[in-house]
Amino acid sequence: MEGASYARMPRVKIRELKDDYAKFELRDTDASIANALRRVMIAEVPTIAIDLVEIEVNSSVLNDEFIAHRLGLIPLTSERAMSMRFSRDCDACDGDGQCEFCSVEFHLRVKCMTDQTLDVSSKDLYSSDHSVVPVDFSDPAATDSSENRGVIIVKLRRGQELRLRAIARKGIGKDHAKWSPAATVTFMYEPEIHINEDLMETLTLEEKREWVDSSPTRVFDIDPVTQQVMVVDSEAYSYDDEVIKKAEAMGKPGLVEIIAKQDSFIFTVESTGAIKASQLVLNAIEILKQKLDAVRLSEDTVEADDQFGELGAHMRGG
Amino acid sequence: MDGGWKTDDGIQMVDGDNFRPKCIYVAVMMRRIMDAILNKDAMDDKDYVGNKRLELSGQLISLLFEDLFKSMTTEVKNLTDKMLDKPDKARNFDMSTNIITLGLERTLSTGNFEIKRFRMERKGMTQVLQRLSFIGAMGHMTRVSPQFEKSRKVSGPRALQPSQWGMLCPCDTPEGEACGLVKNLALMTHVTTDEEEGPLISMCYLLGVEDLELLSAEELHTPDSFLVIFNGLILGKHRKPLRFAAAIRKLRRDGKIGEFVSVYVNEKQHCVYLASDGGRVCRPLVIADKGISRIKQHHMKELVDGVRTFDDFLRDGLLEYLDVNEENNALIALYEGDATSETTHIEIEPFTILGVIAGLIPYPHHNQSPRNTYQCAMGKQAMGNIAYNQLRRMDSLLYLLVYPQRPLLTTKTIELVGYDKLGAGQNATVAVMSYSGYDIEDAIVMNKASLDRGFGRCIVMKKYSAVIQKHSNDTSDRILRPNRTADTAGRMQILDDDGIAAPGEILKPFDIYVNKQSPIDTRTPKSGSAANLPDSAYRSNAQSFKGHGGEVIDRVVLCSDKDKNMCIKFLIRHTRRPELGDKFSSRHGQKGVCGTIVQQEDFPFSEKGICPDLIMNPHGFPSRMTVGKMIELLGGKAGVSCGRFHYGSAFGERSGHADKVEAISETLVSKGFNYSGKDFIYSGITGCPLQAYIFMGPIYYQKLKHMVLDKMHARGSGPRVMLTRQPTEGRARNGGLRVGEMERDCLIAYGASMLIYERLMLSSDPFEVQVCTACGLLGYYNHKLKTGICSSCKNGDNISTMKLPYACKLMIQELQSMNIVPRLKLADA
Repeated sequence: MEGASYARMPRVKIRELKDDYAKFELRDTDASIANALRRVMIAEVPTIAIDLVEIEVNSSVLNDEFIAHRLGLIPLTSERAMSMRFSRDCDACDGDGQCEFCSVEFHLRVKCMTDQTLDVSSKDLYSSDHSVVPVDFSDPAATDSSENRGVIIVKLRRGQELRLRAIARKGIGKDHAKWSPAATVTFMYEPEIHINEDLMETLTLEEKREWVDSSPTRVFDIDPVTQQVMVVDSEAYSYDDEVIKKAEAMGKPGLVEIIAKQDSFIFTVESTGAIKASQLVLNAIEILKQKLDAVRLSEDTVEADDQFGELGAHMRGG
Repeated sequence: MDGGWKTDDGIQMVDGDNFRPKCIYVAVMMRRIMDAILNKDAMDDKDYVGNKRLELSGQLISLLFEDLFKSMTTEVKNLTDKMLDKPDKARNFDMSTNIITLGLERTLSTGNFEIKRFRMERKGMTQVLQRLSFIGAMGHMTRVSPQFEKSRKVSGPRALQPSQWGMLCPCDTPEGEACGLVKNLALMTHVTTDEEEGPLISMCYLLGVEDLELLSAEELHTPDSFLVIFNGLILGKHRKPLRFAAAIRKLRRDGKIGEFVSVYVNEKQHCVYLASDGGRVCRPLVIADKGISRIKQHHMKELVDGVRTFDDFLRDGLLEYLDVNEENNALIALYEGDATSETTHIEIEPFTILGVIAGLIPYPHHNQSPRNTYQCAMGKQAMGNIAYNQLRRMDSLLYLLVYPQRPLLTTKTIELVGYDKLGAGQNATVAVMSYSGYDIEDAIVMNKASLDRGFGRCIVMKKYSAVIQKHSNDTSDRILRPNRTADTAGRMQILDDDGIAAPGEILKPFDIYVNKQSPIDTRTPKSGSAANLPDSAYRSNAQSFKGHGGEVIDRVVLCSDKDKNMCIKFLIRHTRRPELGDKFSSRHGQKGVCGTIVQQEDFPFSEKGICPDLIMNPHGFPSRMTVGKMIELLGGKAGVSCGRFHYGSAFGERSGHADKVEAISETLVSKGFNYSGKDFIYSGITGCPLQAYIFMGPIYYQKLKHMVLDKMHARGSGPRVMLTRQPTEGRARNGGLRVGEMERDCLIAYGASMLIYERLMLSSDPFEVQVCTACGLLGYYNHKLKTGICSSCKNGDNISTMKLPYACKLMIQELQSMNIVPRLKLADA
């Protein structure tokens, strides 16, 4: 059963890491793994979001469903989400999703008493669990905290009131986008750019400048000293082929050779704030592992052999 | 002297015994006829807009009033005569009739103008304003309907008339039978109203018109003399028509005479036409003296500062209104720069030749013309904001968008009409590519995450009402407090204690929303107090909700209707997210239904992290030739990346009201995009880059009011029509789906006889009949004797039983009732 191992050891190199932003390189693997990671980050990393709203009083201009929808889309801090239960699998509450293991309760009570428009925002939501609260987007460096009021839910005029109870539950982005922790997850193949120096030298400075400017992004530049074209930022290249077309138009095909490296990816991950971008990546890897475990469990069983026959054996490396 | 007057047909009327003006009028008419016979060019064009008059409400109402007033006077006279014939003349006599009130009310509520006195019989003269969308309402108010029937097969009146330039929108017309006949006003069109004629006529004589009375026929048609015709009436002649016209124009510009009086010198007919009548279309133009615009920089600055308004321009003689005829005496330059020394006027803006609705289309001048027409029809069906008071209204049907946006690519018209404040659509990031195969035939693929976040989400509000009827015997319906223990309690959960559903409650199908009871006996007069009927005298007349479930009661209004009955109105709200089959459209006549909804992770993405909201198939472009949509995408993309709304007004590239593609491309490149708007895209399924660059960017998409939820329908068994026992027709009656003649033909051709048998009889109206094989007539089944009996043979000897469509049995019997005897001959009985 022991075959040649095709296992590769992917490497990750973190380039930039902020609370809600991460940029890293993923090397020594292929597009399927990179894409699996991306898909899991978007759709399968769990977070907590408001799922049930009971409205007691709503005399605002927006109707109940409207407000419920807006509440659902407010990101909540979800560090707890991985260890929390889905309310559908919760034993403690028979799946009605109202127990402390699978849900968090929120209250909102606002009434406008002045002639000024009152903004009801995510900061007015009171959580029963201090670890699950609406994400605070305010810049910690900013001194003026009165300016920052969180995500606006509705605006009230004098005499209007909003009173409601909301239940937040664990969920995944596949079910509803409100549970997706990812604002942006994208990757690109790392480009490898080779400038044909000999051919480049046949160009005049003006032609070089023209060629450099033909790229919509600043990939190349001219060294002010040596007047040589050099690659400033290879990752700014967006595979638009503009420079290659330009080179052909100038009668110098092969001036530059650009290859997308098939085994290195540059990931950009932006989080909604529900979980930290770094945690998002780690959780995604964890979930990916769990999914693979599910596959491995079934490979031992006899049914797999019956079901897949030769294919099953092949899958096990036979 | 009196200038004479005319009938409604415009023909000179005789003033006393003086037949001379009429003679001359008839002679001039004959002259024109002969002229037309000799020279076809002199023929008048009846489709020419200058020869048309729009009828306005004032004229029509005055006609109606005249008719009703005359009817009233005759009626009063008849009543008086009758009264005077009676012996007791001293009795007090009420001669008030309400003919006028009733007549006006009836005509205005039905819209049928039937005025015998003026031989007028027209339908649909009053219409209820379409309030389904803001743009629909605007479009409806600018509509011009023809008075002759639409069935006539003539192309002339339907064709685009060059003279409608600037007056009537060239794009906005319906498709189908009313095509080209129903028109819409252009953006700056003004329709004139009647102006007093007397002062204008005496002014003409002062300005050198020689009176008709003083001229001989020979003098009238000397080569240098021009007939002066005022509102279709010959006033006399003038030797210096140009000087005369110039004098009148000067008076008009100085505000001495009305701004809508028009003068027009027709060199060919040797006539000067003056018009002050109502119903002419006219439009404002900038006056130019020898090609130099009267509007100077400082005027425009004053306008921008708000010191000067449009009316001030008119009053100061910088602008004037020209009607279609007078335009023929003007040389109008499109732009100030094009003006030569002969130029008399300068256009205000070229995009104003389009109407309100066509004005919403960005870059319409880059589109194939019918596409703009299609968009004009669809823009009225788009959901969005209706009005600022939309949530306080009680319309019978209201479609709203949850998150309407203003278009990223706007036009000047959009700003002028306020569509940017009451939008009806959303800016969707569109990728033009093929995806999944569920996007053929204009279907679009939508991103599930976008829908989750509110894209295309809409609110449908429907009004239901219940009337507490007062009956003739002084009894009345009543509303009861719900009985919480009865078997119907489950359906009454949403009721308040007053028996009326509470706002905010969520409805399920068959929920009772008003627990109404009606008295069983509504005829016989009741002795004593009608309010104290026993409960047994009432039967339940509760109204139950027939909907999809998930609707919410938005508002409950109690009011009284015109018969003073209490009326309870419920506004029921349903929030819907887009689903498979909902109809969407861009602003370029490109409609499509949602073909499939795809998870975000399966959607393609760019390395910037952009993931489209919807995917449109590229086959939509080559045959439609909607280049404007492509430019909208480019402009929108440049707009979001540089943070400025881009413009796409019609013909606006030259005047700066539309951004040029070149400039847009430069913006795109400076923001790191490809100049062509194409992006390098990765497949969301495999993670591999796609082979082609994908044209991607924001396009304003409208959600149209046609939704699957309102249309989907299927039936197994269900209700049948009483007469024929065949399934009912139509979705509203839970009807069956008909296998029609053409479907039947297919099945015959295929030889599927058993299938035809099943569809046409077994699934429709099978019926067992007793047929007498002796006489061939239908018998009946006697349940006592348990045999079939032929009623004509009076026995049951030769009866056999067979199955027949009930409709066939019905036809046999109907024929029998007409003395035609169909006899059935059975082959093997």
